[in-house]
Amino acid sequence: MNNFSMLMSGFAVLFTFQNIAATVFGAILGLLVGAMPGIGSLAGVALLLPLTFKFNPTTAIIMLGALYYANMYGGAFSSILIGIPGDGPAVMTMIDGFPMATKKGRPGQALLTSNLSSFIGGTIGMIILTFMGPLLAEFGLKFGPAEMTALLLVAMTSIGWLVGENPTKGIILTAFGILLASMGMDTLSGYPRYDFGSIYLLGGIPFVPFVIGVVGFSQVIRLMGERHHETKLIVDKLSIKSSMITLHDLRRLLPPAIRSGFLGTFVGVLPGAGATTAAFMGYAVQKSFKSEEPLGSGAIEGIAAPEAANNAAAAGAFAPLLALGIPGSGTGAVLLGGLMMWGLNPGPLLFTNSPEFAWGLIASLFLANLITLMISWGVIPFLVKILSVPTRLMIPVITVVCIVGSYSTSNSMYGVLIMFASGVLGYILSETGYNTAPAVLSFVLAPLLESNMRKAFIISQGSLKIFVEKPISLVFILILLITICFPLIRVALVKLGWMKKKGAV
Amino acid sequence: MNAEKKRRITIMQVIPIVGIIMSAAFVYLGVYKYGFWDEFKGPKPGFFPTLIALLMLGSSVLALILSFKEKAPTWTLEHWILPLSVLALLGTTFIIGLLPSLALFVLLWLRVFEKCSWKTTLTVFAVIAFIVVGAFVLWLGVPFPKGIILTMLSN
Repeated sequence: MNNFSMLMSGFAVLFTFQNIAATVFGAILGLLVGAMPGIGSLAGVALLLPLTFKFNPTTAIIMLGALYYANMYGGAFSSILIGIPGDGPAVMTMIDGFPMATKKGRPGQALLTSNLSSFIGGTIGMIILTFMGPLLAEFGLKFGPAEMTALLLVAMTSIGWLVGENPTKGIILTAFGILLASMGMDTLSGYPRYDFGSIYLLGGIPFVPFVIGVVGFSQVIRLMGERHHETKLIVDKLSIKSSMITLHDLRRLLPPAIRSGFLGTFVGVLPGAGATTAAFMGYAVQKSFKSEEPLGSGAIEGIAAPEAANNAAAAGAFAPLLALGIPGSGTGAVLLGGLMMWGLNPGPLLFTNSPEFAWGLIASLFLANLITLMISWGVIPFLVKILSVPTRLMIPVITVVCIVGSYSTSNSMYGVLIMFASGVLGYILSETGYNTAPAVLSFVLAPLLESNMRKAFIISQGSLKIFVEKPISLVFILILLITICFPLIRVALVKLGWMKKKGAV
Repeated sequence: MNAEKKRRITIMQVIPIVGIIMSAAFVYLGVYKYGFWDEFKGPKPGFFPTLIALLMLGSSVLALILSFKEKAPTWTLEHWILPLSVLALLGTTFIIGLLPSLALFVLLWLRVFEKCSWKTTLTVFAVIAFIVVGAFVLWLGVPFPKGIILTMLSN
């Protein structure tokens, strides 16, 4: 009940003209960014970080939260209408969404099914977040430096080690992100280090230009290879009226959407899992339930399950982010970086020290969910035009935003140089099988990990026992060991035929 | 001939080698310049980066060994045109300023490189101008660099 009243106070914070306008703006941008294939939420959030500098922290993060959230809706549009997923989670939506639009000739209904399922999944995720967030924060109050160190190691390892094809490469990039973050001033003593005599490096690598480069500029370089691809739309015109679903369709949609809503939320809470895993699991679970038509042939259940799961996961991921300061994905890491930039420190004390912010953000997710549903419904007639913008025209637009955005954070060309270097590096790394998300995550979390690890060692006078003597820390260390061993277990399970090879659907 | 081809150093080996050099430098500086451990005060500024650099060193060596089984990607000049253009843009910024350089970049990119019609070029140009001038110049009030020429003229 207390949580409910706090949520209401969050709505009171939210209901200012500026905050509502930021939510609407974030939702529209999120839909656009999500709808365009190849940009994705990570690059979208990173590119728009500089635009929020004018806002106060609450409004800024409300806008980014809405953008991230709406992106989950937008990703499905291109999956359904052109058979190209707008982002990772939308891959599963495509399996039934595209056949429903093409073979069954119901593109509008497929879009509406996706929108409604996203709304249902997201609402379930947010209700669970409302109750779970403060509980998690209360649990987090028991954490000392040893527990935080162990938890941060689990978060970093699970993303670095498990995301991508090659765990070794994940670890290299995790370590690379930490080393970059350690350049500049030592967080505890203020002693300058690894500045190599440069006055610029003394201030460290700036977060925003780094992240714009790694995820934004590198993405534009990648788009260069796709600039001649023509977008083949399956319809010339769509209308809201022709997109309405029947009561029978709604009855088919509800059970998988509700089921995936719960499943997706819990997947979203886990570090390293994220919306893509949730969508995959939602679809996989649906396979064991009855569907009116076979999955893969354009079944409504096949759209509802992954869409509800990925939106629920996006909401669920806010629980560890706000309550423990642990992002579950690269996008979460960018949001966390944004929060830190505005002087907010997510963690167990956030709900106590800045309740107006924490609850305002949760309330904004509810509003963003509703607004995005309405906008995504209203935007259906314009989708054909939005999706037919050629990639070759998008390239100069995104490039200019990358340059101007990275300049504006420091009012110096140093920011642009960092963006350029990290963009080229990010492109080369991703083309050679190195996933850059772990580097972004570890760059953000490195100062927190370092200060907690050093404090733990000061307390224990250099003994490692502190990490196994405390029960919470011990549990995390065990999880860490299991995570490290998981790739070996996976290889064994694949060989035994008990598990599918990574990437196989 | 085939064995010779297999032994060629590609980007798949260059990345772990750079990782080895970078981590070795961080370990060296961490231990000898910033300090690893103080008997009374505990961890010194080099402690944490050294541990992480050791982890990176080990992983990079492993990645280097495994890299010989991997196929290197192939790149054409087309992939590097954008970074090269941005590099040229950074150069012109010091002469004519950032905003005119961006305008020049967009016009040349669309009109010369992409061979777009004037209508498309100007439409995209207007969209970009709206974002840059509207959001960054007017709203955020970012003071963009003017370049040598404009600075000289204004002086």
